[in-house]
Amino acid sequence: MTVKTWMYSVLEAVQWEMQNDPAMTWIFELTPPVASNAGMPVINLETEFGRKRVVNVGIDENWMCSAVLGAGLAGSRSATYIPYQGAGMPYQLIQNHAGKLRHMTGGKASMPVVFVIEMTGQTPGFAGQHSDYEVDSAYMHIAGVRTVVPSTPYDAKGMMHAALRSPDPVVYLYPAGLRMLSEEVPDEPYEVPLDKAAVRQEGNDLTLVGSGAGMPEILKAAAQLTSEGMSVEVIDLRVLKEMDTETLVKSVTKTRRLLAVDQSYYTLGPAAEVVARCAENVEGARFRRIAFPDAPPPASPEMFNWMRPDANRIYAAAKGMV
Amino acid sequence: MTFKQHSGKGGLTRRGFIQVAGLVGAATSLTANFARAEGQINYFAMDLSDDQLRAMLRTILRIRWHERTMADKMLSDPSYRAYNHFYAGQEAVATGVCAALRNDGPFDQIDLVYSSHRPTGHALAKGVDMAKMQAEMDFRATGLNGGYAAEMHISDPSVGFIGADGMIGPGHVIATGSAFAFRARGSDQVSVVFGGDGTYATPHFHSALNNAKMLDLPFIYVLENNLYHQYAHYSYSCPHTDIADAARAYGIPARVVDGQDVFQVYNAAKEAVDRARAGGGPTFIEAKTYRYYNHWGAPGAQVGELGAFGYDPLAITSFRPEREVRAWMQRDPLDIARNTLIDWGVMDAAAADAMEQEVLDEVAAAFAWAAQQPLCNPEDGLKNVFAAGEVLPRQIA
Repeated sequence: MTVKTWMYSVLEAVQWEMQNDPAMTWIFELTPPVASNAGMPVINLETEFGRKRVVNVGIDENWMCSAVLGAGLAGSRSATYIPYQGAGMPYQLIQNHAGKLRHMTGGKASMPVVFVIEMTGQTPGFAGQHSDYEVDSAYMHIAGVRTVVPSTPYDAKGMMHAALRSPDPVVYLYPAGLRMLSEEVPDEPYEVPLDKAAVRQEGNDLTLVGSGAGMPEILKAAAQLTSEGMSVEVIDLRVLKEMDTETLVKSVTKTRRLLAVDQSYYTLGPAAEVVARCAENVEGARFRRIAFPDAPPPASPEMFNWMRPDANRIYAAAKGMV
Repeated sequence: MTFKQHSGKGGLTRRGFIQVAGLVGAATSLTANFARAEGQINYFAMDLSDDQLRAMLRTILRIRWHERTMADKMLSDPSYRAYNHFYAGQEAVATGVCAALRNDGPFDQIDLVYSSHRPTGHALAKGVDMAKMQAEMDFRATGLNGGYAAEMHISDPSVGFIGADGMIGPGHVIATGSAFAFRARGSDQVSVVFGGDGTYATPHFHSALNNAKMLDLPFIYVLENNLYHQYAHYSYSCPHTDIADAARAYGIPARVVDGQDVFQVYNAAKEAVDRARAGGGPTFIEAKTYRYYNHWGAPGAQVGELGAFGYDPLAITSFRPEREVRAWMQRDPLDIARNTLIDWGVMDAAAADAMEQEVLDEVAAAFAWAAQQPLCNPEDGLKNVFAAGEVLPRQIA
């Protein structure tokens, strides 16, 4: 057990899988697979495994994802790291090929592949195109692809192991803002399942649900509400597809109040799905969601910060429900 | 706007050029360090008047001092919030190309420019107002785009500057769409895209060239090869020494030019514009150039000093050696333009100094104006999603 950054924890999982599977490959673009961490050896996949297995190419996310899929179809586990600037570029390949191939071949196609897709959208000043948090909604909509979004270094490592070992294509959303988040993470390999939400805090008055880069603000709001005497249950979705309905419904059945929070656009964000699933299964509960408005993130920090569903917004929404 | 409009019709014809060629024999030696081919005897930018030549120097100076002032502000003024991708070192490319374009007039007659994530030089050369642009960089409500854009999305269609683009690739294909519209409506406008060496690897590069050629579109692809895309040398993503070779494979006439020499860039652009207006289809220009700063921001730079030589913590894969930067700076586009015009007798050193002082004053005034502009209203973030109305504040329960 060592205190590790998110970044290091993820690469530790990739490194272990590549050491134990000489066929596995990794394709990157602008983000070298290098990480350092206090008290730990530097991980550099490129130097450790060589340029036949670990390559960077030009700015061509379509190729990166296609190549990973092709490697998987040829029987090699493969993963690629798409930087946030290209987060939407491989959509067609993932939606119309990776997502459909197993089903349309009657189960014959196997795709042990991982598309790591970086997301931004929490940083004022980035403006329109470099803020792309909304891709969570786009990727979670695709059938046949497991879409996950860890929010802690522990989950990031365990879900990377699970994703790389899964026979299904996995979109592994990587919130760039969490890269340097640190916590104690086991040195040995372990799996965090690709179909389970996490209850971060138990409570009886209100269920607060979010995911990915939204979690730090949700936990901040929950701490404030708790300190004021509200009993808040906090759920981190972790998995957007297949979403863990059971954990959500169990919680809302208990609390009778659900506040779902998205960093993504309001329309068809993960929170919309959370509310719909709970509403279908829990009679008489109260439901609310807050999200980024249906507007591209503007450059101006004044506009952008006001539009974010941050801890203050979450706190205010929760107070309005209890 | 400082650029005098160049109609593309007032210059010397080729026959006229031959008649005056004998008069300029001395001048040709100034540019003799560049290999000539395809009958390109004589000197560059020979069709331009002295006023137009001086206007090119002024544009280079405006871009350069805007860049240097941004760098100094970033390094020294904690209240300065803007960020940017520096263009310094590449000024001759934007200046030379835009000098061959139609930049004033009704929107349906001016030429369009699609820029990159390194847009300031293209914007100024096309005629974007410096003060308004600077206010936009600093997220001000009265900036060029109301604070929605910042550096990577600045846009001013009124001068044909369709705008910056934070992505690599799609803009090039979109630019061919504008060229397609020009051809369809019988306009003699041209559509120009500026891209970097990193664009070669994108599928969009190939789509833009193939379709522009297949449809003979009035499209000019200006590839500014500054050797690095972000932090990677272009040899990591392109097998060609000259990326222009790839354009030739698509059947598109291509020139490789010295991107540090504004007059040489202008000539290539003029030839391309003339071809496009006459229905001759697309042209590809590869300008060999260099950026004096690192990919983003001013790491490694110092106040009052041009260029960045220090360590850039983001440059994990490929670090530019200081001597490489300094070697390129020996062939500085500002020095080349200034010295050439003085050598040609177009202006003397005192006039060039006076012009530089005027530009310094203009840049200082632009930054001062920008810094006084109001910040944005938070609620305005809900506007401009559609042509009319605003969206709901969904962050509030």
